[in-house]
Amino acid sequence: MIARVAQRMSGWIGWVFFLDLLDGLSLTLSYMFSKTVTERYPDNEKWMPFPRYRGHHFLKSNAEGKTNCVACELCARICPCRCITVVPHEDEDGERHPRVFEINLGRCLYCGLCEDACPADAIALGRHYEFSDYDNKALVVGRDALMAMPGKAVRGGEVVPARLSTEDGVTVPAIAGGEGADWWRNIRRR
Amino acid sequence: MESFLAIGLIVGKLAVVIAILLILPIPLTWIERKIAGHIQQRLGPMRVGWHGLLQPLADGIKLLFKEDHIPVEADRFLFTLAPIIALVPPFLVFVAIPIGDSITLFGTEITLYLADMNVGLLYILAVAGIEVYGVILAGWASNSKYAVLGSLRTCAQMISYEIPMGFSVIGVVMLAQSMSLLDIVESQAGLWNIVTQPLGFFVFFVSGLAEAQRIPFDLPEAEGDLGAGYHTEYSGMRFSFFMISEYLIVVFLSALMVLLFFGGWHGIAMIPLPPVVWFLLKLSFFIWMFMWLRFTFPRYRYDQLMSIGWKVLLPLSLANILISGVFML
Ligand code: SF4
Ligand code: SF4
Repeated sequence: MIARVAQRMSGWIGWVFFLDLLDGLSLTLSYMFSKTVTERYPDNEKWMPFPRYRGHHFLKSNAEGKTNCVACELCARICPCRCITVVPHEDEDGERHPRVFEINLGRCLYCGLCEDACPADAIALGRHYEFSDYDNKALVVGRDALMAMPGKAVRGGEVVPARLSTEDGVTVPAIAGGEGADWWRNIRRR
Repeated sequence: MESFLAIGLIVGKLAVVIAILLILPIPLTWIERKIAGHIQQRLGPMRVGWHGLLQPLADGIKLLFKEDHIPVEADRFLFTLAPIIALVPPFLVFVAIPIGDSITLFGTEITLYLADMNVGLLYILAVAGIEVYGVILAGWASNSKYAVLGSLRTCAQMISYEIPMGFSVIGVVMLAQSMSLLDIVESQAGLWNIVTQPLGFFVFFVSGLAEAQRIPFDLPEAEGDLGAGYHTEYSGMRFSFFMISEYLIVVFLSALMVLLFFGGWHGIAMIPLPPVVWFLLKLSFFIWMFMWLRFTFPRYRYDQLMSIGWKVLLPLSLANILISGVFML
């Protein structure tokens, strides 16, 4: 009984002095002077995805600079979108390699099945994610371009310094030697 | 010669005031967006100029080049007239608002106000009330249901809140025994009115928020339920007239709060600063306060708005007059 009256009283006192409004104001005030969490993409920073991220494909190459791919066409068979084209040939050393290896990124659904199916550990989905284009023909990527693509992120899950460049199309290259920072560092948990 | 100088001085001051008032909304929009950003842990505008400083300029250019659109069924005359009616009163109000006593420049004494009326406060409240016509006409002339609903709400809200607002300043007038803003500020030389009139300040502040149509009382332009309320149909320059008017009203209400309750240009004796600086500091604090409130609170429901106005603020303001009277006896 007394507890209920006390509760009532404190409720009324809070109502008269706008304690809940003041609580809200103090919260927003503390936010006003806390660090922001904005990721300044593309001007200053960009997101480095986690190693598990499935982005642009890349072909791994061996010590001699040749691709690991043995042109078995397993990836082309398993691909649910039928977007990989492999044409095998025998090169001058008598090894079996693809003559044509094309992926139509416009049709790919980034399921990663090609990566799982590959017996030679040749194809994988890497960290690159900025490859939109005005022309859908540009999304059909050939063998040499795939071999030049960046691989999987090593650490990932962080914001790295980058800058917007308009020299060669619009790209956001990461600044070399920049230290990545955990994006969650400024998130407040109350 | 003497009179020429005096007239020249007045014209000069007028030009300065108008120029400042026209320019003022530009930094204010930037500050408001920055404050909004930081309250939400964002950065706000960053890309145009250093820390987005040129963003208001970009916005202005965008507004200038927008199509000036008048709805077919609209009342063309009132539609074009409304933004002007909304814009002029905030300018008129600043005629009576002093920002300081006087300074001496090149041997001539220059007063830091345009006119010291003996009914200054009354003039300000009356002229500020005209601004509502702009809003009402805008909604009516647009011939659109959202706009009309917005201006209907404005009517009711303004009528409800002008009353407690007027009553809340009576206590101040009683203390100063004058309606001239200069006298009111002079009467606070020793003790600011906020100490003796906390209730009056509270009522004035809340009804000021409602009068400026700011969140939590921005029902006339509630985006959630009315599109954009009374200026739904406006675009381009006409729309920016409403925006400028809104910002100037915020400035004017902040100035009024400083003058009436926070001692105008009288500072705290311990910190020696020029009086004008004191005034501007307090003014910016209140402008910031308006913005802080805007990004903290949600909007009140319409019936809540009405009951706050009539059931809380009106009795409080009347009680304030009564208490002030008893204490003065
Ligand atoms: S990720 Fe999936 S859809 Fe894309 S190429 Fe590989 S198997 Fe095909
Ligand atoms: S990438 Fe792998 S699965 Fe595809 S053809 Fe080459 S070796 Fe076979």
